Amino acid sequence: MSDRLLEDWRTHALQLENEVNQVVVGQDNAVRLITTAIFARGHVLLEGDVGVGKTTLLRAVTRGIGGGYQRIEGTIDLMPNDLVYHTYLGDDGRPHVSPGPLLSHGTDLAVFFFNEINRARPQVHSLLLRVMAERTLSAFNREHTFPHMLVFADRNQVEKEETFEIPSAARDRFMMEIPIVVPSSADIMESLIFDTRYHDVDSLVDQVSPGILQFDELNQIAALIQNSVQATPALRKYALDLWLATRDPAQFGIQIEGVDIRRLVIAGASPRGIAMMMRAARVNAWLNGREAVLPEDIHAVFQETIAHRLVFNPIYEMRRTALARELLDQIVHVVSVA
Amino acid sequence: MNMMTHPTLHFLLLLVIGLVSPSAWGANNVSPPEKNPPVDITVSNPAREVGYHVGEILSRTITLKVADQYRILPTSLPIPGNQKRYRNKEQGIELYASKISESHENGQNIYTLDLSYQVFTSSIVAKPAALPPEFIKFSGNGKLFQVRVPSWNFRISPLAVYGSVNISKDMSPLRGPLLISDQRPRIIMNTALAILGLSLLGLLYILGTHAWLPRMGGPFARNYRAIRKLTRDDTGLKTAISNLHEAFKKSCGRSVFSADEIMQVKPAFTPLADELSRFFLLSRCVFFDSSAQNIPADPHAWLKQFSRRCRDIERGMK
Repeated sequence: MSDRLLEDWRTHALQLENEVNQVVVGQDNAVRLITTAIFARGHVLLEGDVGVGKTTLLRAVTRGIGGGYQRIEGTIDLMPNDLVYHTYLGDDGRPHVSPGPLLSHGTDLAVFFFNEINRARPQVHSLLLRVMAERTLSAFNREHTFPHMLVFADRNQVEKEETFEIPSAARDRFMMEIPIVVPSSADIMESLIFDTRYHDVDSLVDQVSPGILQFDELNQIAALIQNSVQATPALRKYALDLWLATRDPAQFGIQIEGVDIRRLVIAGASPRGIAMMMRAARVNAWLNGREAVLPEDIHAVFQETIAHRLVFNPIYEMRRTALARELLDQIVHVVSVA
Repeated sequence: MNMMTHPTLHFLLLLVIGLVSPSAWGANNVSPPEKNPPVDITVSNPAREVGYHVGEILSRTITLKVADQYRILPTSLPIPGNQKRYRNKEQGIELYASKISESHENGQNIYTLDLSYQVFTSSIVAKPAALPPEFIKFSGNGKLFQVRVPSWNFRISPLAVYGSVNISKDMSPLRGPLLISDQRPRIIMNTALAILGLSLLGLLYILGTHAWLPRMGGPFARNYRAIRKLTRDDTGLKTAISNLHEAFKKSCGRSVFSADEIMQVKPAFTPLADELSRFFLLSRCVFFDSSAQNIPADPHAWLKQFSRRCRDIERGMK
């Protein structure tokens, strides 16, 4: 029974991927990773330059998931209570309070889309910490829960004016940080310029069938996937070695040119981070029709689940993106598989 | 006046007679000696002047050039076995051999005389000696004359030194520099060089990962040797696959996870594409996913054969 259920859900997942790939071209890997995060029940942070399609991608995926959807724009004057409630003067001339983006859909909130998250103040990040980790919020003298909620956020790394660095604790709540880059294929680039289909984002997103996935069943199917896909002792040891290598790369003989490897990493991946990596690897195995996790499944999600969790020495922080990629590449190449 | 003049005249007269008479006699009574024809004598003596011992043979070559009207008198040549005497005492230098050769060139007779002398004397101290002078006669054109070949001095050394010798009092320039024997340092140096050579060979052996032949210590060669010794059970199978993964890691310089990755890093493995894929399937089956298909029926034997193929490719064979 569960095998058939898993097979049905995989079909839905692949359909979602397929439809989103037709809307956002040249981002197959990013789409696969977002699908993985959805079924691993992890929050996603997209990172990339301005105008590369981050928002379009998230909107397309959101439409495919179905359920309640809320979106908020990160600005420097955004305060935590703006997420929780609005106050206004009603027609009757009396002040009214209405639920904010987080509360407006109640427990049906499926996707909370935080655009330009790095423009929001740390106070807002702090509120997000709890919402993302616990999927609960205390407001109006009661506890609100969002059992089906996923946070999709994006940020661009180009602009630094009026932005705030997301603290490592908040970054750690995101299962993945997915880089979105301009597709390198000349054909796709030409289409993006000359094909008018891609110029109207709203009609483009509407091409995705709504509610391909049943958002309120995702938690159940996610648990089923995690229980069904096996990880053998050899793979557990491999994952453990990868984790240890992120914490003390020098011990594994990793070297990066121009970097004192013993001083590079202040804190490696957290236990939560490695757990999320394994959740994502299991989903990747399931999406590939396997019942056991392979090292390749870990590799498919390793960069995106671990890189943003590493805490580097401040002198290397400016080169964070390149160094994290180099370090994790080396770890994959150095750690023995069996 | 007369008394004074008389004796003076006598004296002057006697003085004039005394001075004039010899030349006057000579001019009148003795004819001037007739000059001998010129003979060009060239002598080539031994190079060394010292250090001869009893029994040694010294050779000298004498070249005599004379006008072709004159010929050498064979009876005047030195006779082997003859020993010259000085003050009626034998000197201990005996003519050992004598050989003459003759040629004619530019109106001259050229005689080359090879003489060998043997030393028949010894002493407890260095003793001066000489190859004796020789007198060679020529005749012809109604003349008979002789030329003298000069003697040649040398020193005869004692066979052994008696008593203590104070070198500082015996600084003869003829002795030459005293050389310190270098035999012992040479032996030490040769021994040290031999040890150094053996050490370098040993170092080479260690650096060559204990392999006597080139590429014998490569990761797959070692892996093949190890796999042959493994037991045919589950542990042996896991160890064999792990060892092969490790060998690929060493060979490629990084962990590799697929056949394509290996062929990209090491194109030499391209002929093994199918076997590489099967190896990764087998590894996946043993370590990660027991449901994997298309694994060899006898994985131990297959791994041994696969390991050998990898070793052959490592050694440059196809």
